Amino acid sequence: MRTVLLASLRTHTRRYGAALLAVLVGVVLVLVTASLSSAVRDGLTSGLAEPYDGADAVLGHPSPDDAARLLAAAPEQGADAWLLGWTLQQLSHDGRVVSTDSDIGPVADEPAGRWQELTSGRFPDRPGEAVLDNNAAKAAHLAVGDRLRIGTGSSALDVTVVGLVDSPSTYVVASVYVLWTDLARWQDHLYVSSLAWAGPEPGYDGARDAIRAVVPGAEPDTVDAFVQEVQKDVNRGVDVIAIVALLFAAVALLVAVLVINNTFTILFAQRSRDFALLRCVGATRRQVVRSVRLESLALGLLAAVLGTAGGLAAGQGLVALIHGQWPEARLGDAEVGTVWLVVAATLAVGVPVVAAWLPTRRVVRVSPLAALRPDDSTQVGTATGRTRVAAGVLLLLAGTAAFAVALAAAVPPALVAGGVATFVGVLLLGPVLVPALVRGLARLGRRLMGPAGRLAAGNAVRNPRRTAATTASLLIGVTLTTAVLTGLASSRSALADEMDDQHPVDIAITSARALPADTVDRARAVDGVAAALPVTGTTAEVAALGDVAVLGVPPAGADSVLHGKVRTPGPRAIVLPWDLIGDGLEVGDRVAVTVGERTVRLRVRAGDGWGEAALVAPGTLARLDPSPRLHAVWVRADEDADPEDLAGSMEAIGSPLGAGIENGLADRAYVDLQLDVLSGGVVGLLGISVVIALVGIANTLGLSVLERGREHALLRALGLTRRQVRRMLAAEAVLLATVATALGTVLGVVFAWLGVRSLVEPVVTGASLVLPWTQLGAVVVLAALAGLAASVLPARRAARTAPAAGLALE
Amino acid sequence: MTSPLAASTRGLTKSYGRGDTLVPALRGIDLDLPAGRFTAIMGPSGSGKSTLMHCLAGLDQPTSGSVTVAGQALEDLDDDALTHFRRDHVGFVFQAFNLLPMLTAEQNIWLPAELAGRSTTGLRDRFDQVVTSLGIADRLTHRPAELSGGQQQRVAIARALLGEPAIVFADEPTGNLDSAASAEVLSLLRQSVRELGQTVVMVTHETEAAQYADDVVVLADGRIVERREVAA
Ligand SMILES: Nc1ncnc2c1ncn2[C@@H]1O[C@H](COP(=O)(O)OP(=O)(O)O)[C@@H](O)[C@H]1O
Ligand SMILES: [Mg+2]
Repeated sequence: MRTVLLASLRTHTRRYGAALLAVLVGVVLVLVTASLSSAVRDGLTSGLAEPYDGADAVLGHPSPDDAARLLAAAPEQGADAWLLGWTLQQLSHDGRVVSTDSDIGPVADEPAGRWQELTSGRFPDRPGEAVLDNNAAKAAHLAVGDRLRIGTGSSALDVTVVGLVDSPSTYVVASVYVLWTDLARWQDHLYVSSLAWAGPEPGYDGARDAIRAVVPGAEPDTVDAFVQEVQKDVNRGVDVIAIVALLFAAVALLVAVLVINNTFTILFAQRSRDFALLRCVGATRRQVVRSVRLESLALGLLAAVLGTAGGLAAGQGLVALIHGQWPEARLGDAEVGTVWLVVAATLAVGVPVVAAWLPTRRVVRVSPLAALRPDDSTQVGTATGRTRVAAGVLLLLAGTAAFAVALAAAVPPALVAGGVATFVGVLLLGPVLVPALVRGLARLGRRLMGPAGRLAAGNAVRNPRRTAATTASLLIGVTLTTAVLTGLASSRSALADEMDDQHPVDIAITSARALPADTVDRARAVDGVAAALPVTGTTAEVAALGDVAVLGVPPAGADSVLHGKVRTPGPRAIVLPWDLIGDGLEVGDRVAVTVGERTVRLRVRAGDGWGEAALVAPGTLARLDPSPRLHAVWVRADEDADPEDLAGSMEAIGSPLGAGIENGLADRAYVDLQLDVLSGGVVGLLGISVVIALVGIANTLGLSVLERGREHALLRALGLTRRQVRRMLAAEAVLLATVATALGTVLGVVFAWLGVRSLVEPVVTGASLVLPWTQLGAVVVLAALAGLAASVLPARRAARTAPAAGLALE
Repeated sequence: MTSPLAASTRGLTKSYGRGDTLVPALRGIDLDLPAGRFTAIMGPSGSGKSTLMHCLAGLDQPTSGSVTVAGQALEDLDDDALTHFRRDHVGFVFQAFNLLPMLTAEQNIWLPAELAGRSTTGLRDRFDQVVTSLGIADRLTHRPAELSGGQQQRVAIARALLGEPAIVFADEPTGNLDSAASAEVLSLLRQSVRELGQTVVMVTHETEAAQYADDVVVLADGRIVERREVAA
């Protein structure tokens, strides 16, 4: 049998090309995931302990107020304390907005706490000075000596860059570091990751007691314990991401199993005469099976070698590329452990062997004589067909029941179980369902397709099981893609409503002093501004807060600039931004609001999204100030306006007037970007499975072309032109791809609907299914085009068939 | 007897392979095939019968020489033109694998007309006539797998005759049939010549089959070695 095995490997190797490709993609994906997660882990955890060098204790996540008190108390106790954390603020340079959410962190007053590594210039030694992170400086083209403005409005801070630094640890890195005295103005917006404490006497106990003296009940850790805890957190986070990525690899490998299974099934069917002949001349069943399984093993070993080499190279290449192109991503080194290599190699070997298992068993069942007769036995109605249909129907019913449970009780596991059961049910019913759909679609497109198309429709359904298996691989990818796209579109629209509430104004220019009347026109003239609305108000003294702009809302024509609505206070209320509430003032308090001689007592409400101003009803404003003046301009941006450019232009108008800029557009854009990245990533990863599935379609078609050589010759003899042959195969591929995509789209939308109904709706009120028609349409069109592309090579080969060639009897 | 020619060849040669493996399958054939007659091409296996038929039918390109069918010189046609020519002027019956397995008998018969984009309404009467005379009217909805070998060949003949081609080629049409079915198929071919005036060229190595023909051409080693009329 050795000779047979080697000879058939030689003969059939090329036909395994697609199978090899399918498993390679999956294995490479696994190793790239391993490389990237290792690099991310390394980047996040290396140098983790360095910022705490010399500290005796670390307090994790103190409140900003506690942190401030500890920083203030340290010098009195002869201790050093430094804080690790940041606040996100707009950063501008020369009136140009560098970033709408730059991370601003502290640099310690005393050298002991300065963990940043100075690379040029010096550390700040007075307020109004800052050091920049090297990567951030490079990305924004900033240098020592530049003047920067951090934040906007009354809390804006102007600083001079005096030095550039590197961070030993990505965990606590910020773009800009300023002294605590400067940073403290954003105390309410500060995220404090930790506070390090170094007492006059080394030792944990003393440091802990000193901290507890200021913050009773605080639970500081030793540096080692704290670092270990962070490390664990980081690892957990990376693990979660890696597991998600591996899920996609699993989907890709599952699709590969289907593609390879189909390849073997077809190849073995084509070779059944060879097998029967072998049996006739005395090979035992065992011998035939072993020889065939060894073929799949050989394929697997080849995949293991190529896959691990390719996967490692791709992983390292990708990490190197990211290092070079995006240094600010701060990836570490990629080191793929032996475990990963073993897993990848095992998958590479295992997938083909598993995929070949069933087709091989079918080979054995064929009797020596039966295999010599023409085989046309895959009709529904055979015993296996009936079992299959019954199982499929049962699974569909079970899935529906699980869905009903999920809907009634919002149980996620029931939803997943229902999804899996229904999907497997549909796959099992494939040999009945898919050909029926192909026939239906072919009937619809009858006029369009001509005789070649009609032949294609016949070809597409002649072997229902093969048709079903071919479409199944594509079905998986498309179903998941559409479910995700629809789910995200629904979440996006739910979020959009929320964003409308949180950021009713795209950009607000607000000032406590009255603005010149031409501000509105100047804002309106800016590129990317769709509308600018004057909002009148007055400067009022609000209790202890001092002078505050008080605006009358809603201003006339508010609908033309607002998303949703701003809060409209009643006649006896005043809405204050959350920032202003806090120090001795609470929601529900009654405060005195005074303009000149007039004083009104109003109840405090809170809200956000229009900048640093209080809102009152127009009637209330009239009582405070009979001739209100311009205090704010609310701007609605064009759909495609760049938030940072726009903020820069507004800053240029507002800054000289002492006005603050509220940039809701940037927050909106940020949320949009996150959703775009999420859907892009998911679709990209699922796209890999779709590509594998299309390779499978091309493969099935290619193998079918070999099988139908004589048919094509006959058709050519009877008058089918080369072009018609090509068109016939293209139509077959497009029919298969379109049916798989259409079915997948329906399933995906149904799954998404169930997901939204049972998971999102109970949490987000008003969430409902939103169909991203363009995206769904694009998926169908792309799949059809890809089907077309998949047919190119097989069609070329088929068209080459000489009309006489196939007709001679073998 | 001077009937018009359905097809003719002059100096036709065909070789396969090249260099050491060159196989001359036809070594200079001059042949006239009169219209309205049933010609049998005979000869031992490997003598070049199928090759001659393929060249005559425009299924294969000759190495040299000319082939004229229905007044058209085939060497002037490119692949597409040849395809169109075949579907308009030539009918085929092969030894095996004559029918597309996924189409019914009726669909198989209509196939060439459909490929040519010809309207089926005009051919309805002809279809009924052919199908009735071949005795397969009650088998039209069956697929090839559900038909006997003889029935399959009759469907193939019906398909060849439907378009009223200038010439019908049959390559060993009885090669896979038992003697009763063979006799039937041969009678039907002959009947189509007698009753419909069809020109039929049949390749066979069976002497009995040749008895149904009007003329016999005998090939050996790529040359015509004999040409005779069959006594009625
Ligand atoms: N495609 C081919 N390639 C190479 N040689 C061929 C091919 N087809 C036929 N031959 C050779 O040409 C000669 C004639 O073949 P053929 O016309 O099939 O003979 P017949 O039909 O009389 O049995 C034979 O020697 C055969 O081996
Ligand atoms: Mg022959």
